[in-house]
Amino acid sequence: MDRTSVKIVVAGGFGTGKTTLVASVSEIPPLTTEELLTEASVGVDDTTGVEGKTTTTVALDFGRITISPDVVLYLFGTPGQDRFWFMWDELAQGAVGAIVLVDTRRLDSSFPAVDYFERRGIPFVTAVNRFFGECDYTEDEIRGALELDPKVPLVWCDARDRGSSKLALITLVRHAMARLPARA
Amino acid sequence: MTLETWDGDDESAAGRFVPLYVLVNGRTAPRDSSLDLATQVVALPVDTRRLEPEYLEILRRCDGWISVAEIGAYLRMPLAITKVMVDVLIEQGYLEVGNPAQQKIIDRHVLDAVLAGLERL
Repeated sequence: MDRTSVKIVVAGGFGTGKTTLVASVSEIPPLTTEELLTEASVGVDDTTGVEGKTTTTVALDFGRITISPDVVLYLFGTPGQDRFWFMWDELAQGAVGAIVLVDTRRLDSSFPAVDYFERRGIPFVTAVNRFFGECDYTEDEIRGALELDPKVPLVWCDARDRGSSKLALITLVRHAMARLPARA
Repeated sequence: MTLETWDGDDESAAGRFVPLYVLVNGRTAPRDSSLDLATQVVALPVDTRRLEPEYLEILRRCDGWISVAEIGAYLRMPLAITKVMVDVLIEQGYLEVGNPAQQKIIDRHVLDAVLAGLERL
């Protein structure tokens, strides 16, 4: 097997614990990479004519897990601000799928992420992050609020806990594999 | 590349003499559009004496396989610039490139390996 990179996107609203989840399973402390954009180019992915215009920095946090001597899994957290959708496109392109973190105090903050992956047919699982305390909602209530397709897995997790984050990742990979065409 | 191109802009704070967009000749996208931020590269054993310091700095990070995103993070360079510079190094035979993430994704063997790797964590 050639040297191969595999991507998983960790999405969710602002403050849902994306970087926390990445940190809990990554073999390196999460790194931050930055993209510079002009205000004029935001949303159209065009960085020409950077000079003399207001620039904005979009930060992406990511981690890595060495799977085998040839395969490395990269976990990319989405930028916090929803207006940087074109960065999501780059992250999602070719990704195994996404984990959408849900904060039960603000269910609606994860709705744009659910909607994004649903519309594009990208496999995703929802992970309800419980580190904010006891959850007042049942699984059915959360599924209803996020308008989840019944086939989309929902797992309960604590993004600080390695075992819990690992389970969310395994659930996603299994879900993505189940959607592949049957073995030839 | 000469020091005359330094215009005293804020990049000097980072110790750079040449603005990065000059180094990449104003290119804003890599020639090879399959170059993903997760694509990994590794330095090839070739003569690097003709390279500018900014490119050498990238090569020094590539003594083992490393992704475009990691290079950008370690060298504190914006992703778009990192991609273009890595692409130039690939084009000129300084770097070998691995599989971009998006080409292997339907490969069940890769997903099998990922699953097994995660279960071992």
